[in-house]
Amino acid sequence: MLLRLDKRDTRPLHEQVAGAVRRAIAEGECRPGDRLPSARDLSQALGVNVNTVLRGLRSLRDDGLLEFRRGRGVTVAEGAEQRSDLLERVHALVTEAARLGYSRADLVEMIRGMP
Amino acid sequence: MNSRRGTERGPRWGTVAWTAGTAALIAALPWAASGRLPDRLATHWNFGRSEPDSSMPFWAASVFPALIWVILAAGVVLTLRRGGEASRAAARPWAVTALLSGGVLLAGAQASVVRANLDRADWHQASQPTPWLVATLVATVAAGAAGWLVTTRGQATAAPVPPEHREGPILRIPEGQRLVWFSRTINPWLQALAALMGLVAVAAVIALVSGLADSGPLWALFAPFAFASIAVAGCAAVQARVSERGLEVAFGPLGWPVRRWAAADIESARTEHRTPAQVGGWGYRLSGLGTTVMLRSGECLVIRTRGKRKEFAVSVDDAERGAALLNALGSTQSG
Repeated sequence: MLLRLDKRDTRPLHEQVAGAVRRAIAEGECRPGDRLPSARDLSQALGVNVNTVLRGLRSLRDDGLLEFRRGRGVTVAEGAEQRSDLLERVHALVTEAARLGYSRADLVEMIRGMP
Repeated sequence: MNSRRGTERGPRWGTVAWTAGTAALIAALPWAASGRLPDRLATHWNFGRSEPDSSMPFWAASVFPALIWVILAAGVVLTLRRGGEASRAAARPWAVTALLSGGVLLAGAQASVVRANLDRADWHQASQPTPWLVATLVATVAAGAAGWLVTTRGQATAAPVPPEHREGPILRIPEGQRLVWFSRTINPWLQALAALMGLVAVAAVIALVSGLADSGPLWALFAPFAFASIAVAGCAAVQARVSERGLEVAFGPLGWPVRRWAAADIESARTEHRTPAQVGGWGYRLSGLGTTVMLRSGECLVIRTRGKRKEFAVSVDDAERGAALLNALGSTQSG
């Protein structure tokens, strides 16, 4: 699998790591059931602290994209591809909204107000 | 042109002469001493026992080992002929080593059998020819090593890589992006083999601790099986990683040991289709193609290092992009 990190990205590093893995899942770089490289390997390759990587991976687990299994490491969850694609777009929307001065609450209001 | 034809024909006739000559020698040895041998020859001794435990009629003791040798040699030659030109060049040292050591081993064993039965009235009286067998084993190893050295030294100067393959693919790295590539390969058969041998080692250790049997044979059982289990487990799984640090290849379930190459030290990277027959089997192989970590036949990531101009290959999926990223990193770091 190929992972991309943007060096000019100003988001916190753990979010960038999560974003890189999310994009890899959305692009089919790793399929449901595939095992992810270990957090230590990811941290060495990306040049990021291992706790930062773990924080990013945990947030993806909370999103339902990854599964942490004892003895099997971190694997990609079933149906993660579509969910990852959607989440990727939601993240892009939140970032764009923040740039234009809208908070997440404003976005939620906008979505609620949609017919 | 003549010299080229000569270099192709020489090994072929050499192989034929060696095979036929050794077969004739093995078959003729008992006949040469037929007046001093019993009707049946002792042909097998158990390890550590002096008296023989099986025998063959005179004619079978002549024909049977010669037949084994001919089948073995034919197997080696057919395996060599099956591959393409590149794989044939790579497999040649293995074939020469196998033929030389196999011939010496069988001829030596036959000589030992004849020697043990010489001047005996009955095969039961033939005692185990231990010094002869030891000398045979030493000669076998020496012949194999000589064959290997002679054939590989010739190849080292003639680089095995066709020039058109040297330029590998290059991945475009967008400005300001950091790209890393991961791939892993697992061979479940090797994993099962490692587990099985580990089980034998554990069983030996339990028997050793509980004092079920003599400690000598148990140690002899435990040590090789434990070592082999660890060695096979190390080659049953492999992880390759390409980042700005270069290429890192980690072995075994724990990802240790690791071999590392800085991106600047890698002259070029490419992919190649390789098979276990080409590199001499599974696991960590050294052959005419350089070092190959072979877990399955198929696509391999191959790198060529800058200084030593040696090649290292590892059988991983998606090797094309790994090679492309390595080439891109190498060109940005050195250029």
